[in-house]
Amino acid sequence: MALFPVISNFQYDFVLQLLPVDTDNTMDEVAAAAAHHSVGRRVAPRPDKVVRVRRQGDEQFFPRDARLHETGIKPMETLEFIFCDR
Amino acid sequence: MALLDRAEWYDIARATNWTPKFVSEAELFPDIMTGAQGVPMAKWEVYDEPYKTSYPEYVRIQREKDAGAYSVKAALERSRIFEDSDPGWLSILKVHYGAIALGEYAAMSGEARMVRFGQAPGMRNMATFGMMDENRHAQIQLFFPHEYCPKDRQFDWAHKAYHTNEWAAIAARHAFDDLFLARSATDIAVMLTFAFETGFTNMQFLGLAADAAETGDFTFASLISSIQTDESRHAQIGGPALQVLIANGRKAEAQKLVDIAIARAWRIFCILTGPSMDYNTPLEHRKQSFKEFMLEWIVGQFERSLIDLGLDLPWYWEKMVAEFDYQHHAYQMGLWFWRPTLWWNPAAGVTPECREWLEEKYPGWNASFGKCWDVITDNLLNGRPELTAPETLPIVCNMSQIPICAVPGDGWNVKDYPLEYEGRLYHFNSEIDRWVFEQDPIRYRDHMSLVDRFLAGKISPPDLMGALMYMNLQPGEMGDDAHGYSWVEACRQPTKAAAE
Repeated sequence: MALFPVISNFQYDFVLQLLPVDTDNTMDEVAAAAAHHSVGRRVAPRPDKVVRVRRQGDEQFFPRDARLHETGIKPMETLEFIFCDR
Repeated sequence: MALLDRAEWYDIARATNWTPKFVSEAELFPDIMTGAQGVPMAKWEVYDEPYKTSYPEYVRIQREKDAGAYSVKAALERSRIFEDSDPGWLSILKVHYGAIALGEYAAMSGEARMVRFGQAPGMRNMATFGMMDENRHAQIQLFFPHEYCPKDRQFDWAHKAYHTNEWAAIAARHAFDDLFLARSATDIAVMLTFAFETGFTNMQFLGLAADAAETGDFTFASLISSIQTDESRHAQIGGPALQVLIANGRKAEAQKLVDIAIARAWRIFCILTGPSMDYNTPLEHRKQSFKEFMLEWIVGQFERSLIDLGLDLPWYWEKMVAEFDYQHHAYQMGLWFWRPTLWWNPAAGVTPECREWLEEKYPGWNASFGKCWDVITDNLLNGRPELTAPETLPIVCNMSQIPICAVPGDGWNVKDYPLEYEGRLYHFNSEIDRWVFEQDPIRYRDHMSLVDRFLAGKISPPDLMGALMYMNLQPGEMGDDAHGYSWVEACRQPTKAAAE
């Protein structure tokens, strides 16, 4: 368990934000933390969607249950948070 | 006693280059300070400043200018401009004074470097007047806002801003250090006087003086006009310096200086002037949009200056022009959302009428920026103001020190432009900002952005309140909505009307 800063680039939001998360967090938990700073603040909620995580520029998303320390994500790497069907 | 015309003695009087006997020329004028790029001193003697003046002429004209500005101020001392102005206009004044007044001191230091280390006698002569200009600009722009301090302590930031770690002050210091405090005489001639002043501030001051007159703030209008006429004179130091560089085979070096300077100036200009023109200025006083202003003055006029001098347009010109459509809207949203971190109160500028104007000037605004403002507006209408307040920091660009942001909603194009250098990961707002860093990484690598400082434990407690304390923002100084959220009700009415 360790505090781990990443950068949130949330779909439809206008700005990159600092996102403190934990190395034990799953990608779903990381996505929820990112949503806290964007959804309902500047991005309209989309309850029919889930938010998936990927590296900036990647096509593939990380598995939703992957834990941060298993992903190879580096501190202060920019992650994209994208609304998906599943 | 009859006096000779200036033209009869000027060239002889200012021919002040000499051959040193006690030290070498390289010791007297080290290349690191002159920035002459190996062009010998004799080659600089053809430098021909387009605007010529003598000390007596300068003093007489400056005295008249000062007398004019101060007498307008005195005559209007009892006017109610502070009380009667739209709060958006007062915000423009606060932004301007805080960001510019002490920057003028930095410019004075830059001019002084040209006075001492300029290779051309004409450059040294003109820079002497430029140095005095900048001193006057710092003083007058500290004095004028001072009378507002008892009424509104945010005006104290005219003097305070540069002495703090407030993020916009860090951004201004970073850019101005780069453009004119930490540069050689020739670099300053090119980057400060040509790129920054001819390209941007001269135009901005013209526009700002017109806006002030339109708003009825004649004190500010006369102050800005008085400064602008100085600017238009000393901004001419750079052109002939560029001609000397180009004539002596240094075009590539000159072009690089110009390209870096325009890139840096554009960011500062975009965040200061863009939101001021398109959001803070009350709708009824807007003459043209920021984009129209940029296309007319920067593209139309400055492009011609570059070409006339024999330079090329910067490699990123089209990218920069494309940013006219969106970058300042993104900065505006950041300024408003992180409003407690400002020394002024940003106007939201998004009433239904304002949005109509924005959509007309920037087709697609409602589907992009408008979508974020919809969420913000709904939160305010529904009694959830806490959702319109930030809980984390935005990532700031390691070049501009301004948040990395772009288009939201439809057309979402926000992106980090990262760079790993010597094991450290840097983040940039665009290819342009990253390119500037890559031109001289050693120059920029050690600077820590506000976010870097936060992560390094320099901000305590490590939360937004700690960040506000770090920025020296005291209660009564932190920014809030300029109109006290009164605009929100105007947004409720169309919804009601539609329901009826």
